[in-house]
Amino acid sequence: MKKKILILPFVIFSLVLLTFFYLLIIDRNPSEIPSTLLNKNYPKFETESLLKKEKFLSVKEFENKTVLVNFFASWCKSCSTEHKFIQRFSDDETIKVIGINYKDNPKKALAWLKKLGNPYSNIAIDKNGRIAIDWGVYGIPETFVVSPEGIIQYRHVGPVNNKIFKKINSIIKKNDK
Amino acid sequence: MINKNHISTKIFIIVMMIFLFLPFFNKSYGVEPDEVLEDKKLELRARDISKNIRCMICQNQSIDESSAPLAKDLRIIIRSKIKEGKKNDEIYEFLTDRYGDFILLKPPFKLTTLALWFLPFIFFVIGVYVVLSHNKKSK
Repeated sequence: MKKKILILPFVIFSLVLLTFFYLLIIDRNPSEIPSTLLNKNYPKFETESLLKKEKFLSVKEFENKTVLVNFFASWCKSCSTEHKFIQRFSDDETIKVIGINYKDNPKKALAWLKKLGNPYSNIAIDKNGRIAIDWGVYGIPETFVVSPEGIIQYRHVGPVNNKIFKKINSIIKKNDK
Repeated sequence: MINKNHISTKIFIIVMMIFLFLPFFNKSYGVEPDEVLEDKKLELRARDISKNIRCMICQNQSIDESSAPLAKDLRIIIRSKIKEGKKNDEIYEFLTDRYGDFILLKPPFKLTTLALWFLPFIFFVIGVYVVLSHNKKSK
């Protein structure tokens, strides 16, 4: 009996070691924090629009369609790298792509869009970052998928790449069925 | 020769001591003058809350120490909530609703965090038991 107990620390240590090793080899980003907003209603907001004279009312913009919400800024380098993927989303007619321009100079933002192309159907101006805080954003670019019912289904921190593009697309297709 | 060595050892020790104690003197704060509330009591409350809130960008710093823009935004929001007359719990709730429990530097005592709080004690008890039983045997 006593001898068996002596093995216990060794067993526990091996288990801890295995756990650490497992976490090391699986595909995950340790600095990414899961969103508490998942499966909850999207945070409603009202602000100026970068593209239109009328105010940006989230209640009006988010309806009946799956909405891709992308927090971006002209000063954000990763936003330029993910731009082509956002552009590809805008070709999909089953969804709506909404941009939220985070702490940016409107003139610079418009110039940035002119240069790279505008993938957004409308853009909300988040001048002081208050909207981003309500969405739990901590580093742009961040991308959210909101279901036609207004539920946040997915959040990605960092630039959208090929893998994330496919992941988001599969969610969109599920919604469309 | 011996004397020279002695002096350099002394200097070495002094320098090491300075580096050792540096963290205690060099308390850096992220709070900027324009953020500070006029009412000292309210400001103290804001500082107290900020010390418990994690900077989501730096992750191992509180927003009280961090100079990250998001930390500043959160400090300002905390202060405006205090001015509005919100209670501390309401402010913590506002932050965890958006950023989850991760934003609290100290994990809350919940069913999902029970293991986090109790495992060290359980491991300690197991350790003591193993050592004691091993000692008895060797005697």
